[in-house]
Amino acid sequence: MHGRVKVKTTAQQEEEKRKEREKKLKIYVAARDACFSKRKEGVCDDEALQLTQQLLSSNPDFATLWNYRREILMHLETVKDRDEMQNIYEAELSFLEACLKVNPKSYGSWHHRGWVSARLPRPDWARELSLCDRCLSLDDRNFHCWDYRRMVVKVSGVPVDQELEFSDRLIGSNFSNYSSWHYRSTLLPLLHPQTPEAGQEPPHASSPRGPQSHRVCEEQLLKEYELVQNAFFTDPNDQSAWFYYRWLLGRAEREETVSCVYVSREDERVAVAFSRPVNICDLPPGTINDVANEHNLTVHWTGSHTHRDCALYTGRVESWCRDTATDQELFRSELSVEKTSVLQSELQSVKQLQELEPLNKWCLLTIILLMRALDPLGYEKETLAHFQTLKQVDSMRSEYYSDLCSKFMIENTILKMEYAEVRVFSITDRNLTSLCHLDQLLLVTHINLSSNRLQRLPPQFAMLQCLEVLEADNNFLENLEGVYHLPRLQEVSLKNNSILSCRCSFRAQISVSSGTPVLGIGSFCDLCSYLAAYK
Amino acid sequence: MLGTQIKDVILKPDAPSSLLLDKHADYIAAYGSKKDDYEYTLSEYLRMSGIYWGLTVMDLMGQLDRMNLQEIIDFIKACQHDCGGFSASIGHDPHLLYTLSAVQILCLYDSLHAIDVDKVVEYVKGLQQEDGSFAGDKWGEIDTRFSFCAVATLALLGKMEMINVDRAVEFVLSCMNFDGGFGCRPGSESHAGQIYCCTGFLSLTGQLHQLNADLLGWWLCERQLPSGGLNGRPEKLPDVCYSWWVLASLKIIGRIHWIDKSRLRQFILACQDEETGGFADRPGDMVDPFHTLFGVAGLSLLGEEQVKAVNPVLCMPEDVLQRIGLQPDLLS
Repeated sequence: MHGRVKVKTTAQQEEEKRKEREKKLKIYVAARDACFSKRKEGVCDDEALQLTQQLLSSNPDFATLWNYRREILMHLETVKDRDEMQNIYEAELSFLEACLKVNPKSYGSWHHRGWVSARLPRPDWARELSLCDRCLSLDDRNFHCWDYRRMVVKVSGVPVDQELEFSDRLIGSNFSNYSSWHYRSTLLPLLHPQTPEAGQEPPHASSPRGPQSHRVCEEQLLKEYELVQNAFFTDPNDQSAWFYYRWLLGRAEREETVSCVYVSREDERVAVAFSRPVNICDLPPGTINDVANEHNLTVHWTGSHTHRDCALYTGRVESWCRDTATDQELFRSELSVEKTSVLQSELQSVKQLQELEPLNKWCLLTIILLMRALDPLGYEKETLAHFQTLKQVDSMRSEYYSDLCSKFMIENTILKMEYAEVRVFSITDRNLTSLCHLDQLLLVTHINLSSNRLQRLPPQFAMLQCLEVLEADNNFLENLEGVYHLPRLQEVSLKNNSILSCRCSFRAQISVSSGTPVLGIGSFCDLCSYLAAYK
Repeated sequence: MLGTQIKDVILKPDAPSSLLLDKHADYIAAYGSKKDDYEYTLSEYLRMSGIYWGLTVMDLMGQLDRMNLQEIIDFIKACQHDCGGFSASIGHDPHLLYTLSAVQILCLYDSLHAIDVDKVVEYVKGLQQEDGSFAGDKWGEIDTRFSFCAVATLALLGKMEMINVDRAVEFVLSCMNFDGGFGCRPGSESHAGQIYCCTGFLSLTGQLHQLNADLLGWWLCERQLPSGGLNGRPEKLPDVCYSWWVLASLKIIGRIHWIDKSRLRQFILACQDEETGGFADRPGDMVDPFHTLFGVAGLSLLGEEQVKAVNPVLCMPEDVLQRIGLQPDLLS
């Protein structure tokens, strides 16, 4: 179905081809029908093996025939002895090797080989590993072969460092080696986990423990930086090295934690921000509304055995406790002195490379990522400039870069919040195309998003449970979705947007204009009719 | 400095640039009527999926009525085995892949009553393993494609609760890689087809928040090559079927705007065969129903008005899913 070129032929050539295919078809259909009727009768003989072999050689995706072969082999196990079965299965492996030569990408062939290897009285895993070596030397992106190799390595207990060396060799000798880098990413956390346990045996290269376990200890990490750097300096267009490098620079997903607890006496409500969604819990009426009382609240999160405390003092109407973005290592990891100096020198090197290869988008993106890792606020201006260049060099993905830049600008604003007010969030004239990290804005009462390129306020905007004032003039907002579930909202300013629809559901002072001066409007109902009049 | 050449195709200036819908409908309507065709016979092992591809694309083009409903229902009935699973064709063995295709076809025709639904559920349930994964059939091949087939089948039947969903989710998540993508099994390399299956799976099980959408979205938008076409993983040639696997995944995770839509549309249209109708994997190659469906479905996701809206999770017309009452989650 893939890669079959349409070749133009003459009428005579067409006719010859047609006759040939008719003949082939007749033979095929006869063999297939013979197979099916034998199987129906429960026959498990040599002829059945012959017929299935004939068909599978040219059509290894005919899964039912592999099933039939397995049934025959299993039947033979009941009447032959171990040595005979050893021979039969070895012959099966030879047959499979021939199949794989013709079609190295058939799920059916590889699965059958795995089935046979597991049933061999005397398995020969070295032979299987050597088959993988040969297959990968012909095509080191064949994922069927890689998966088979992983199984062989697991079952036969090949040490991780041996496989790491194997990936080294492949990376060194081949250009198209995303598969090898990928393999490394699964081996490293096994060999050099971030928190090494005392007395740990060198682990076998068994399957990784899930997406959270891709942390690697720092020493090994720094060695990897060197390895990858060699790769992309040798060939700056080898994208796999750049992908791998981005992973090295990145952090593992931060552990799920309670990042903020907010209590409101008036609303008798507790809002809890986790690393992602916000949970709101209404307290039974009368619990905390008496301002003369002090209350100590503790939020227990049984899921990850953590808790946060929050004290609501006498005379106070609200209270909160919140980790700063830095405390949470929210946007970047703590860097050791060694790692900082390594990344600094890498930044210089990649910058030099970028001057030699001004059209290489990987360089530009990587420079941005390195700056983020080292000093997000310090490099803000340079980062913005690099994004501009990147959008020109790689224009097909300019929307991606706009969103990524928006994310970084929002992160910087959040970082700055630590030194300033934690209840005001202002990010204007930054070409923002999307919003994120809204879970960090639970405490914000005033938000200004004016003069950006936002098309919507997403449903997650509802996390801004304390929001009283929203300014979002001069954007491209099309609707007011995201604004409906903000219990404290009092003022909304939406001059110069593209609002086409809204729901009339709550009171607000709204200033809105499609080119006319500011008008004060009492409710969304008025807004709707106002907008309707303007269409 | 001689480096890696970018693997890609070059679109010819005279490549088709408008959508030849009627030609495609004629191609599909006639496909398989010449039962003595060599390719057709050799692909019998996937016939049930072939029928699903053909019917779905006809429905998307508003021409489902040209197909033979009764013949197809009879065929499907004849393919249900005692164990409850469906085979690709008569005489072949049952498998999750063809069980999903069968159920999808019956949904298109609003004919689930024609088969033993409880038995299907039993079959799917029986294929779930200890670690939450699903085997494709009793012979034990494990693949995240089968996790998708299982939950999609059960979602269409409204019986998702019959399997251990938490375990199933755990297994799929254990297949997440350093680049945010997914492979066949834990440790397998990321591949757009598997990513489609896993994002679809996570949508159907309400677990999309477990993805790193930004990271995965980046990997996916990097599938777009200068020709405008999409490949399935780094350093591979573009293929029209990835206009589905990649595009649908991006739609599910709310990042479809990260690819250049007009360039992709241009590539997809160039894969049409003006003579025979149908789409090929890339311009100039032989057409087939598989690539025809995914070319048309990809165009639908890009907003093509002549084509019905397609659901990115199940690759079925949205109106069919509305009728069933199935609205899988999408990230915004």
